[in-house]
Amino acid sequence: MYLAPEDDEVEIANAAAGFLAEAMPITRLHEHGSADMNADLRKLFGEMGWFALALAEDRGGSGLSTVEHVLFFREAGRQCAPVDLLAQCLAVNTAADEGLRQSLISGESSVALLVADGGGYRQLGAANADYGVLVTQGGASLYALAGVAAEVRPALDPANSMLQITSLPDALETVDDPRIWQLGQLGTAAMLVGVAEAALDMIVEYAKVRETFGRKIGSYQAVRHPCADMALRAEAARSQLWYAATALKEGRSDALVHLDAAKHMANQAGHGNSDANIQLHGGIGVTDEHNAHLLLKHAMLLSRLFGSKRTLLNRLLDARLED
Amino acid sequence: MDLRFTEADHEFRAKARAWLTANVPTEKRPAHGKTAEQFDRDWQRKQYEHGWAGVAWPKEFGGLGLTGLQQVIWYEELARAGAPHYINTTYIAMMHAGPTVIARGTDEQKAFHLPKILSGEALWCQGFSEPNAGSDLAALKTRAHIDGDHLVVNGAKMWTTDAQHADYQELLLRTDPNSQRHKGLTWVIADMHAPGIDIKPIRTMLNDEHVNMVFYDDVRIPLANVVGEVGGGWSTALATLSFERGLGFIGDQLELYERVNRAIELAGRTRFEDGSLAIEDSGIAQKLASLKADTIAIRSMTLADIAETDRTGMPGPKGSMMKLMVTGTHKALSEVVGEILGWGFLEFDGDRTNSPWTYDYLWSWIFSIAGGTSEIQRENIADRVLELPRAR
Repeated sequence: MYLAPEDDEVEIANAAAGFLAEAMPITRLHEHGSADMNADLRKLFGEMGWFALALAEDRGGSGLSTVEHVLFFREAGRQCAPVDLLAQCLAVNTAADEGLRQSLISGESSVALLVADGGGYRQLGAANADYGVLVTQGGASLYALAGVAAEVRPALDPANSMLQITSLPDALETVDDPRIWQLGQLGTAAMLVGVAEAALDMIVEYAKVRETFGRKIGSYQAVRHPCADMALRAEAARSQLWYAATALKEGRSDALVHLDAAKHMANQAGHGNSDANIQLHGGIGVTDEHNAHLLLKHAMLLSRLFGSKRTLLNRLLDARLED
Repeated sequence: MDLRFTEADHEFRAKARAWLTANVPTEKRPAHGKTAEQFDRDWQRKQYEHGWAGVAWPKEFGGLGLTGLQQVIWYEELARAGAPHYINTTYIAMMHAGPTVIARGTDEQKAFHLPKILSGEALWCQGFSEPNAGSDLAALKTRAHIDGDHLVVNGAKMWTTDAQHADYQELLLRTDPNSQRHKGLTWVIADMHAPGIDIKPIRTMLNDEHVNMVFYDDVRIPLANVVGEVGGGWSTALATLSFERGLGFIGDQLELYERVNRAIELAGRTRFEDGSLAIEDSGIAQKLASLKADTIAIRSMTLADIAETDRTGMPGPKGSMMKLMVTGTHKALSEVVGEILGWGFLEFDGDRTNSPWTYDYLWSWIFSIAGGTSEIQRENIADRVLELPRAR
């Protein structure tokens, strides 16, 4: 029993953190047109094998587990990585066709995330994405998006474009495999934990240097105590994320209950911490040039994906842990 | 990361389950008084005689020398078997005093006190807090001067749980009259039956008398009873408190999940005035489900923290986060149950077994104040985890 990254896990987490901070820093989002994955980035991620971490080796992946999957996406969350990064990963795990899968693993082809909304769909990711992946709890479908009419909607979160689709063509491929949704739910939970941690780090750093009334604001209990609450939210969400990822890796019978709890705690931590971070920064926290609002807006998007508060709590009410 | 218990862990669980199933007391623990004390002593003695006393204590001092994770198993099995709650009149002896004597005591102190604690022969109480030294413990004023080979104690201690049942007390005193704050303090073992000790119960909002004021009027304590150094009491006291911050509330942490399930069952059979079931109210259902997620996360935090401590041998600073999370969840759960039970929640006679939910609601303030208030826990997190600038 051990519930923190160790050995190779630490190395993968560090490698992911270093790579993402350089290739996809959160500061990119202050520049126009920085939403979504672009072709160069995608190929770079593909070369590094990041899309296929949790894909079996005999299918061209690294054959790693849900644990490495969450370690990577937690770092992605810290940089407000776009969700089409996750969509690409899920599509890689969906595609049965060898050629298609290879082009997704390498980043040659691009994937947007599709989410059912009313009678139609929301598309998260670039307008010119080659494919869309639509995931349900039971499986996933891949669609070719070329020629599909999509209306661009103004996106609150600068990390992703948002489009609206009225109808989709027949799926290219459909797979019955609950693992795709699980990777999606874990991935978004992990990104939200990353957001929650980034928000905490941001305010702690500021509280150590910013002075008001002749004192560092980090010495005021009105600032210290909400920071302590942020630390607690991050700790609880992170511990539950580690537990859920490991329970899935080991195929434990109550892994899905832990997964729902992990997403719920991550929703709460991602949103709660990015909210408090803005407030504790004061005026500078509401400016466009600051990173604080980027975390909040991304948390709002992520907390609606793969289990929003209402659906998670509905399931958790009757769920039970096993012995 | 892995969630696997070792073969030895599984064996321990099976053995513990078998013994507890056959041996936990079948009768209910009395709520108060001498009969409750005797009940606790008897249950402790039974565990001792069968080799199950002192799960956290090293083997060489008569304990079981279990790892942190095996202690988790023990508390899970206690809950499963419906054993008496482990926070009873033996708590301070088992969780504070014993571990402190093991860590800092002399050979004579160990030989005399440890077997008495394990067997339930000796109950202990704490003597740290005072009327003007609670959260700010280092402000304590109860003083002692040395007279020959004795300390002579004068002053008053407060919030002393179960003082009326205790045989001994872990007493933190100012032995250097010119000292300030953390210096000049001494941790000493007081005999609660010594002349000059007077116990006055403090009636709490729970309608009970578990806590007391203890007054000292020229109470003579042999210098041989000092644990650690004269003047080095702060260091000994920190050791005492670290045992509580480590695994002191582990049973509550793990049990909260089952309490949420009990509340959900309660909501599934309790009807409001309009005839609808409480669970059909989406606000109540959401709160209960959210609390369930919190308790599942608390369990994961507990396991993560204990596994880390087993590996490093040192409890980290996360105990403060744990207490904040557990006490907050405990209170929120009591509040939802208050909504579910309606008027029934207002029926209370002070007996935990008759009105468990109302008792727990009232207890939630004790829980979030005793052993370091939630505000102090947030300060600890700000200082020790986040390393924010200090104002103090």
